Amino acid sequence: MKLLKSFSFRLAATYALLFSVSLALVLGTYQLVSITLPRNAVKAAIEAEAETFAAGYRGDARALARRLEARAGAPSQLAGFHLLTDPAGHVVSTNLPSWPAFAGRRWYSLEADIYRDGDEDDHEALVLDRGLADGSRLMIGRDVEELDDLEEAIGSAALYLIAATLLLATAGALLMNWAIGRRLDAVSGTARRVIGGDLAGRVPINGSGDDFDRLAVTLNLMLDRVEAGVEAVRTASDSVAHELRTPLSRLQASLRKAAPGDGADASDLYDAIDEADRLQSLFDAVLRISRIESGRHEAHFADVNLAALIADAVDLYGPAAEDKGVSLAQSTGDAPIVRGDRDLLFQLVANLLDNAIKFTPTGGTIRLGITHQGVGVRLIVSDSGHGVPAEAMERLGERFFRGAAASGAPGVGLGLSLVRAIVRLHDASIVFRDARPGLEVGITFQPRGAAGSAKVRDARSGHL
Amino acid sequence: MMHILLVEDDPRVAAYLCKGLEEEGHVVDLREDGRSGLLQASTERYDIILLDRMLPHVDGLKILQTLRATGDATPVLILSALGDVDERVKGLRAGGDDYLAKPVAISELLARVEALGRRGTLTEEVAELRVGALVVDRLGHAVTIEGRPVDLTAREYQILELLARHAGRVVTRSMLLEHVWNYHFDPQTNVIDQHLSRLRQKLALVSPVPLVHTVRGAGYMLRPGE
Repeated sequence: MKLLKSFSFRLAATYALLFSVSLALVLGTYQLVSITLPRNAVKAAIEAEAETFAAGYRGDARALARRLEARAGAPSQLAGFHLLTDPAGHVVSTNLPSWPAFAGRRWYSLEADIYRDGDEDDHEALVLDRGLADGSRLMIGRDVEELDDLEEAIGSAALYLIAATLLLATAGALLMNWAIGRRLDAVSGTARRVIGGDLAGRVPINGSGDDFDRLAVTLNLMLDRVEAGVEAVRTASDSVAHELRTPLSRLQASLRKAAPGDGADASDLYDAIDEADRLQSLFDAVLRISRIESGRHEAHFADVNLAALIADAVDLYGPAAEDKGVSLAQSTGDAPIVRGDRDLLFQLVANLLDNAIKFTPTGGTIRLGITHQGVGVRLIVSDSGHGVPAEAMERLGERFFRGAAASGAPGVGLGLSLVRAIVRLHDASIVFRDARPGLEVGITFQPRGAAGSAKVRDARSGHL
Repeated sequence: MMHILLVEDDPRVAAYLCKGLEEEGHVVDLREDGRSGLLQASTERYDIILLDRMLPHVDGLKILQTLRATGDATPVLILSALGDVDERVKGLRAGGDDYLAKPVAISELLARVEALGRRGTLTEEVAELRVGALVVDRLGHAVTIEGRPVDLTAREYQILELLARHAGRVVTRSMLLEHVWNYHFDPQTNVIDQHLSRLRQKLALVSPVPLVHTVRGAGYMLRPGE
């Protein structure tokens, strides 16, 4: 039952059936062309001969017998046979060894073995039996031994051929079932491993580059992607838990110190409140990033003057930079307009600026520039800090990822994640580059009209 | 003292907010669902209405729209667990005067309630603000202390003006960001503090006593020197 349900087996069985049918067609055609048609031709020839003899018969049996014997003696590819009896049934002439009693049938196949020089030659005669006008009986026939032999040979060959075909087809079906089943089992085995929780499971590839290998490569790519995604989620939730531990323990410490009776101090309570605020802003940031990433943030797209935005950001962060001894330089050129959400774009510039100030040592310079990139607009923020090692470059923007240089700096590693989310929402692209020294962040906005419109729709439809 | 209507369905949050407001001497009426909240708001006059965004029966924004449609201009502060910028914009568009995301810090709420409540009495057109010896000339955008001019940047002037408008009351950092920079965003660090310290330094050049005070856990306050 299981075998009958197998797709590959049913496929092979169907194929075998079709092959048998085509074999039968070939054999049938051969039979028609080499047996049936020649036999009909012989029959037509015999009928014509019999007609000629009958037409020439004037009641003179002896004369007819002579003509018949002359025909039998004549050299011919197909030897002629005959029987002539008078109306009383006495044989006048024949070269047939035996014949059936008159039965009214027209055609007979008769054994017509010929003895010559003591040897016996097997012959089969196709004979037409007809009466003559005076009641005499005339049988005219020809030797069809060759056709008969051929027919017999074809018959038995067909039997063997069909039997062999069915046997081979069955064997083929079983082989195909086994071979395909083995490859499919490998795929479903891997799937079951993954279902069972082992995300490292991969479909084996046998290196032949066949259809199954291509399928396996695709499936493995999918599994790689799934594994990476799950790993990212796992890392992110681990990081959240990890990032929460420090503020939570500080919160605990402050609350313990502020507990009544133990030299309680109001400032400890404020410390506790500060820590709770930090915790809250951490959660807010995580939620905000996922809201923007999942399109649930209803962005308000309008034309935004990037130069004015940068000027505002520089104004806001100017004192902070000055306190650190870092200078800010802006070169924004002629009013570059992009299509975007003003508040989110300000958040983006603020985060980049905040990072740059954090990682630029005293005496350094941060440059904010706008250039025209083809038809688009490119925002560049570069600092003269320690930069980011190449291996960390591609992890920038990963949630909670902090480079080695950031370990001492404030923050939790969400600033660039938010930047990335905002960049994606604006259909812009972000590139990090080693500015030697320092880091250069380039964000390219598509020309107005091309960007934003699709995203606005997304954001709206995804909204609560 | 202000007469405040609070429409909030979470009893714990409501109790916390009531306690905080009452400690400041405000009188609070509490309604716990949208329908009775709307009824109460339309039958009695309040100085300010605190409206939860998500309410049983009638949504907070519906109440707000209904009030505004009937010509009721009572200042409304929307409270919401949906603490995102676009939610704030929605609330303000529906006719809200201010917006606070939950969980609400009492200090932030009090500062905003004060600011909203005073809006009725303090006209925006007042040409001059006086806080002790400090005078803010809103027409000339100039500041003097005991007649001596204080040299401020445009931004510093805006900060001081906001503080002066709410003199004696707390102005939170997010209020400063919203009103002075006019961006709704989340600064990762307290960038505002550096602006305030510059403002203080400039005021200290002229004023013998400190005028801008830090209120721990809340924000800043402008107070005449003793």
